[in-house]
Amino acid sequence: MSTDMTENQFAIETVALTKIFPDWWGRQRVIAVDNLNLQIRTGEIYGFLGPNGSGKTTTIKMMLNLLHPTRGGATVLGGDSADAAISSRIGYLPEESYLYRYLTAYETLDFYGRLFGLPGSVRKERIETLLDMVGLSGAGNRQVGTFSKGMARRIGLAQALINDPDLLILDEPTSGMDPMGTRQIKDLLVELGKRGKTILLCSHLLAEVEDICDRIGIMYGGKMQVEGSVKNLLELTGKTQIQTSHLNENSLVKIQTLLRQENCEFEITHPMDRLETLFVRTVNKAQQEQQATSGVQAGSGISGFLAEREIVRQPGILDKLVAGQAETQIDKIRGDTETVAVTPQKAEPQQDAELLRKLATAKTDPIAETLKPQQAKSVEAVKIDILSRLVGKDKNADGSTTPTDSKAAGE
Amino acid sequence: MGKIWAIARNTIAQAMRMKIAAAVIVLLLILLPMMSMIMIGDGTLLGKLQTFSSYGLSLVGLLLSILTIAVSTFTLSDELKRQQIFLVVTKPVRRWQIIMGKFLGVVVLDIILLIFFSGVIYGLTVSVPRLLEVADDEKAIADDQFFTAREGIKVALDIQAAAERARERFKKLKEEKGRDWPPLKMAEKTGIEERMTEIEVLSIFVQEEMVREQSVEPGRGRVWDFKDIRPWSEPNTMVFVRFKLDSSVAPPDGVIYGLWSVGNLPAYQRGDGSLTTPIYNVERNSPTRTSQEFFVPADAVTQDNFLGVGFVNNPNLNPSSVTIQELEVLYKVGTFGGNFVRAALLMLVRLVFLAALGIALTTWLSFPVAVLVCLVIFSAGLVNGFIVDSIDGLGAGIGQAYMFTVKPLLMLLPRFDDNYNPAGYVVSGRIIRWLFLLKAAGETIGIKSLLLLVLGMLVFRRREVAKSSV
Repeated sequence: MSTDMTENQFAIETVALTKIFPDWWGRQRVIAVDNLNLQIRTGEIYGFLGPNGSGKTTTIKMMLNLLHPTRGGATVLGGDSADAAISSRIGYLPEESYLYRYLTAYETLDFYGRLFGLPGSVRKERIETLLDMVGLSGAGNRQVGTFSKGMARRIGLAQALINDPDLLILDEPTSGMDPMGTRQIKDLLVELGKRGKTILLCSHLLAEVEDICDRIGIMYGGKMQVEGSVKNLLELTGKTQIQTSHLNENSLVKIQTLLRQENCEFEITHPMDRLETLFVRTVNKAQQEQQATSGVQAGSGISGFLAEREIVRQPGILDKLVAGQAETQIDKIRGDTETVAVTPQKAEPQQDAELLRKLATAKTDPIAETLKPQQAKSVEAVKIDILSRLVGKDKNADGSTTPTDSKAAGE
Repeated sequence: MGKIWAIARNTIAQAMRMKIAAAVIVLLLILLPMMSMIMIGDGTLLGKLQTFSSYGLSLVGLLLSILTIAVSTFTLSDELKRQQIFLVVTKPVRRWQIIMGKFLGVVVLDIILLIFFSGVIYGLTVSVPRLLEVADDEKAIADDQFFTAREGIKVALDIQAAAERARERFKKLKEEKGRDWPPLKMAEKTGIEERMTEIEVLSIFVQEEMVREQSVEPGRGRVWDFKDIRPWSEPNTMVFVRFKLDSSVAPPDGVIYGLWSVGNLPAYQRGDGSLTTPIYNVERNSPTRTSQEFFVPADAVTQDNFLGVGFVNNPNLNPSSVTIQELEVLYKVGTFGGNFVRAALLMLVRLVFLAALGIALTTWLSFPVAVLVCLVIFSAGLVNGFIVDSIDGLGAGIGQAYMFTVKPLLMLLPRFDDNYNPAGYVVSGRIIRWLFLLKAAGETIGIKSLLLLVLGMLVFRRREVAKSSV
């Protein structure tokens, strides 16, 4: 898969990018970024990770001409980000929101819209949809200085989207946000990724990155330590996980017997719901009951104008998935499932496949279509959740893929 | 332009939230009406108007200058400090557009405030004569000397001739004394003391000759010629003679008695029938060392725009020689309103320079340092003439090196004093010529401010706006 990808233009490319900060005397230098060669493909969601002070923000600032590299250079969208033609296609959210406290939310977005040279009518329309999207349509006339950090973050994100950018550079977009907001941003980013936007995401929320990023890189000491696709980096190929709906005692015994015959180590547990899911469910319920709040309201999905431009991505994996399998699988994946973690001992891949086949046939009755509590969540959100998982797996589809648990459960 | 204007608007919004802006506005709103009531001057209507307009304009000029310095040094440095600039420079905006936007914002703010406050001063000044119960002749004097725009022609001192005479005297003295040089016994006659160097003696002579150039001995008269006098051709136009008298020995009552003649005096002296205009004689008792004025009808001016002014020192009334300083003939050439607008524009020129200075400095310096530098340059501008003269005097010895190092820098200092001080014109009812205004604007805005802005843009273009942090 890599040949046609490399021919693609990189959205961001750094060559031997180095930043050295001198101390006050010009001596005892600190190397913030050390010979970094970063390549972010067009249309990719890239998770840029690393502990504090590892050089992530410095790298971003060099990409955007806020700092000058000591050595090396960065190309953004095929050019220099100081070039107006390039910077008009970039959306940037810095590590803090840095807004003008005295401007209202509306004025803030209007100001940045003007800087992009957007005509008045377009600005007005986009500001309204963006405020709605980030859940601040009721606070448009409030001064940004009175906003909580999370609300300011939402405005920051809205300003990054006002030009319908091709490239989004987000430095910890969810810092200070409540879990609902985090979830909304996550959904939004996945949706933006689907529309062909390239996203460089800096975050310390690893779960967030894991869920939405195609590829990640981990920085330490100004150097890239590990880089690769999420699937490649995280999959435990030595283990197999099978999820089913609730099994009765009899079936469990059968499976255990079968697994013992195969000489496998295994444990049988019930999977845990994620705290995020519970939180989102609770707040959604409260919002549906229209309980009063002075904070943010539910955002209404993605802004319409962001769909204006569609970038044709070479792989097109997501689109295919969305069109094809996703629809049929949505309802099947979640439910009362049990997890069977199997560790094969000296087992060959063929044996694994055989075992799975046996398991699949042994359970004649497929998954019950019971109404699940998660369905209180918006269908869109569920879709995105699934999508991100699917993407991780399919992007790695170079032939040697082991059949995955979700597919097995689904079929 | 849309982007520059967006930044300008944001700059104004930012400035209006600054406490100093509110303080300046409130202070002026309270002080100006108060001043118009309290200030009396010398008790006449003219004195009151002159005092109020002088203090009012100076106060507005000073406070707006301080506000401009504060806003222009704050606006960019604060955005850099709070890192709000990150979200501006990463947009498709050029760095020079940011500087221009900031500059435009401060200038627009200045224009708004200047229009408002000069409007307040104008309104108060115009309404003072209506609100006060004063005699008509006082009103007439105020109309003639304040609510007007007059051109003034001063007597040009012939410094060259005075210097020449001083040199002659010095040569003669040296020949007389011959071997007795340095002169030991001269103290009784002049200010020359023992052990003075030749240059010191010479400079005393020059000063003495300069005084002599302006002085009239008892029992003698003197005529000064004024050319190119073109008063407004309207009925009852007057020509004003302005002067300041002093005498070598202070008169007991502090008053000098003078007899003035105004008209085509050379023709009168010739007596060949070429005199076609009237000669006016004015007897005038003037206190010493204050500016005085009298007026005669404008028909004293000849067809070819000539006017002679003569002064006779009456030996019966004045015991000693009288020095006539700052002799000037004034005549109306414009209206008060028009002149007031030009005075406000002259003040704007100053504010525009300060705006450019503050913004240019903060591309490089932090807020407190930039404020300090601005205040120093502003103060230097207020005494520009003095500074230039004194450094010129010191540097003259260095010659070429001075000409190419300090001198060009001195030329870059703004000029806010003397002719560039708008209050002076309004107080004495003198016209600010459009040509002069354009010249001042060209020098201060077109050259000095532009240079500052371009420098600021160059620095800002190269500058890392983010701070080093790991």
